[in-house]
Amino acid sequence: MTDRKPNRDYGFVKRKPQSEVDDELHFHLEQRIKANIEKGMSPDDARKAALERFGNVNGVRDECAQLLTEDRKAEARRDWLDDLRQDVRFAGRAAVRAPVFSLLAIVTLALGIGANAAVFGVVKSVLLDALPYARSGELMRLYCPWRGTPNQKGALSVGTMSDVRERQRAFTSLGAFMGARDAVYLSEGASTPQMVKSMWIEPQLLRTLGVLPIRGPGFRDEDALHDTTTVVMISYGAWQRLFAGEPSAVGKTIRLNGIPRTIVGVLPRSFVPPEEPSDFFQPMGLALQMGNPVTVRGSHNLGVIARRKPGTTEASARREMNAIGAELERLYAKDNTGIELTAVSLRDAMVGDTRGPLLVLLASAALVLLITCANLAGALLSRAISRRKEFAVRVALGAGRGRLARQLLTESVLLAALGGAAGLALAMGGLSLLRGLALNVIPSYANLSLDTGAIVVTFALALATGIAFGIGPAMSVGRADPQRTLRDETRGTSESVRSRRMRGVLVAGQIALCVSLLAAAGLLVRSLIAMTSAPIGFDPDHVLTFTVQPPNATYGSVEARNQLYDRAFERLNALPGVSAAAVVSGLPTQIQSSNGLFIQDAPWASDQPVPFILTMSASEQYFKALSVPLVQGRTFTPDDRPAMPPVIVINDAMAKKYWPKGNAVGARIHIGPPDPKAPWITVVGIVGNVRNDPTHLAPDPMMYLPFRQESWGNTLVIRASGDPAALTNSARAALASIDPMIPMFKVATMNEVLGDTFATRRLPVVLMTSFGALALLLASVGVYAMFANMAAAREREFGVRVALGSSPGAIAGLVLRQGGAWLALGLAIGTGGVVMAANMLRTQLFGVPQFDPVAIGTAVLVLLVCAGVALLVPVRRATRVDPISVMR
Amino acid sequence: MFDKDSGLLQGTVELLVLKTLSWGPMHGYGIASWIETVTDDALSVEEGSLYPALYRMTRKGWIKAQWGVTENNRRAKYYHLTAGGRRQFREQTTGWQRLAAAVSQAVTSKTAPAWAK
Repeated sequence: MTDRKPNRDYGFVKRKPQSEVDDELHFHLEQRIKANIEKGMSPDDARKAALERFGNVNGVRDECAQLLTEDRKAEARRDWLDDLRQDVRFAGRAAVRAPVFSLLAIVTLALGIGANAAVFGVVKSVLLDALPYARSGELMRLYCPWRGTPNQKGALSVGTMSDVRERQRAFTSLGAFMGARDAVYLSEGASTPQMVKSMWIEPQLLRTLGVLPIRGPGFRDEDALHDTTTVVMISYGAWQRLFAGEPSAVGKTIRLNGIPRTIVGVLPRSFVPPEEPSDFFQPMGLALQMGNPVTVRGSHNLGVIARRKPGTTEASARREMNAIGAELERLYAKDNTGIELTAVSLRDAMVGDTRGPLLVLLASAALVLLITCANLAGALLSRAISRRKEFAVRVALGAGRGRLARQLLTESVLLAALGGAAGLALAMGGLSLLRGLALNVIPSYANLSLDTGAIVVTFALALATGIAFGIGPAMSVGRADPQRTLRDETRGTSESVRSRRMRGVLVAGQIALCVSLLAAAGLLVRSLIAMTSAPIGFDPDHVLTFTVQPPNATYGSVEARNQLYDRAFERLNALPGVSAAAVVSGLPTQIQSSNGLFIQDAPWASDQPVPFILTMSASEQYFKALSVPLVQGRTFTPDDRPAMPPVIVINDAMAKKYWPKGNAVGARIHIGPPDPKAPWITVVGIVGNVRNDPTHLAPDPMMYLPFRQESWGNTLVIRASGDPAALTNSARAALASIDPMIPMFKVATMNEVLGDTFATRRLPVVLMTSFGALALLLASVGVYAMFANMAAAREREFGVRVALGSSPGAIAGLVLRQGGAWLALGLAIGTGGVVMAANMLRTQLFGVPQFDPVAIGTAVLVLLVCAGVALLVPVRRATRVDPISVMR
Repeated sequence: MFDKDSGLLQGTVELLVLKTLSWGPMHGYGIASWIETVTDDALSVEEGSLYPALYRMTRKGWIKAQWGVTENNRRAKYYHLTAGGRRQFREQTTGWQRLAAAVSQAVTSKTAPAWAK
């Protein structure tokens, strides 16, 4: 059964339509003339009569030629479609005939294409899709970098914001906000409070972002002028959650932190604030805060968004901010020394640190796909070689070589398309999994789904993949000489030099890619281990944490709060197994507030920026609750009350840094915005270091204020002897017995809190390692295949050698030498890949040198071991060749 | 043979071709000759208009062309009916006969209508 329709012209070459029509008409006229002559006309008359009877020869000829051309085109189209249909059918049959291979191919393709589709989906939603604001390319975020410190994204002070508004010319509008905070929410008529997030925004902020409420009038500028605002806006999500999306929510009165407020607007579904999500939005006016001389430039708490004027570039806007910052430093030297001003595009600000890891993931996924292609190309090559006779017969029976090559290509594209479809399903599943895992890692506006664009890209990728791994074998078939193949007596598994070389190159490429990927994964793993194993400075086991929110109305004063917590600790300590209960402003790894440090009799030089130290407020039993050791002096006692001299406890890193001579205890300092009337605070003790930022391997300086004197903060920590989670209900009951209006939320064990922090670092590493493992598997299969084919090709030769007395070891040596050369080449090229990978990862590594020998060495070792295992079977089989059976 | 003024529709040329080829494959000249013979040269249209008709019928899939060799060893393009063409022939013949019968009946009618004087 040939695979071509019988050639209609029986071998005559298809000529131009014009000449064919000419021939036909010419024949007609000839016959007519002959008939006329037979009737008795003279040759001239015969011709004239024939032409007259015929009519317009040229006109007919042109018309027929046109019709013929169109007909031929339509026929070619039909043939092409038929060929394609036949190709697909053949490809399907070929795939079914080799079910194991096809299944393996589809599975590996699904993994490779699916991984790429998933990563591309993430990259697209984070880096490429538009931010949920109007013309988001024009938006920028203003920051105050603190010169010479790691804090390069500091908030602005109210004074700075006001000055920028006055002086700037680069922006059409600016808007400020303060970060989302927890608030107690009580709906009308309800008695149980809930915890929600609320943030303060200027009414101008929504205008700057170009966001309009989908319901309700929203904020007016006047709303920000009152001291106590009574209007709020609600996010779409909160609107659905708390009001079930009822339109009547607008106009309702609710209580936030005890104060009644009216809902005046609902924000769009796609809207997310520039930092973290928030449920409620309260209007704020900066004019009110301008009055406080201490905080106006000393407190930095504003996030600022600005929209560039058309025609202003990002660079020029940044330059203007830099200049304004320099001027403010000059004008307000006391407050602003060392504080600069800059602007970055809002996308960069919101994407933050995720860009690097995402691009690394994209590169790794692409590498895995390349390895998959190389693997499949090698496998298809063997299959093409074993089907050589089949192809030779087909060519001899009239199949065009080009057609055959096209058919092979269709086979690979079909496999790739099936793999791509399966991969797409995998990707969708993977992304929904990722959405749950990566909540804190991915910026909040990215919705991690595969939209049409991503699906189109996936299929284009599948097509490209199919062509990439199919083209080599397809072309090699086109070159084979059918006669020689048919006469060939060797078994169908032998290879020509060319295909052996192609396979060797493919394997070398796979090895190179694989070792680069493994080295990258190894570096990231080492970095993660360094990060998670560095000592944290406290004991997180058996510690329960939760947050409370005592309403301001009842507990507005320091005394009221101290009373509350004393009673709370009394009840909590009475619970079984509890050895310590304390309140603190922030848990380790979540401390955010810092204050300026001023040491008595040691003022900072005028060009030295004031150091900002992490500050916490902690009650007496805090250090015991977290098992933070005391190094020198004492921690807090109940005597450190508001009326008593202010005291402070610092950590070892701070003591060593600022009192290198060791005389920290007893020193007197000021913290926060400099107020000459404030009393000096005495350092009374030094405690052990606690890690706050996992990316800082050296512990940061920290200072603790006594909760009794500075009672801000509302996180409770309880140390229990048994499982801390079991205490949750009794703790809640204990609190409720004191005041049922105090909700308890964010309950978690300290280990869970730590786990969340590291999860954001762990996820990309886990993904990278999975890619590395996949690449390793694929490369091993490639190595196995290469050695197996090599050994099979030289079977006869080995038989002869054994017959002539060669030892198995010598045979093994031959095989290893041949294949090993390609492995070595792969490793050599891989060195370049490793260098590139290490360079790309430079910014992601912590505590690990760029070319960490342990990581890279382990990667190479793992690869060699796997390759060694892979080639074991073929080499052993080669040494066991039976000379007699081979030579028959 | 096929006079321009005879007023015959294009469709009749096609029907005649179909009939001719129902006898067997033939080239364009042969088709023209047979039509001339069987109709006693009563229909006259320019011979040349036969060929565009042949090409259109090939496009429609009613006939297929193949180059062959005549008895005198001359190369000629032979046409033959396809299955679809045979079907067309049956349908068009029936239709034509019905039309011819109806027209014939009308034209030879002896009954005058009510409004005739």
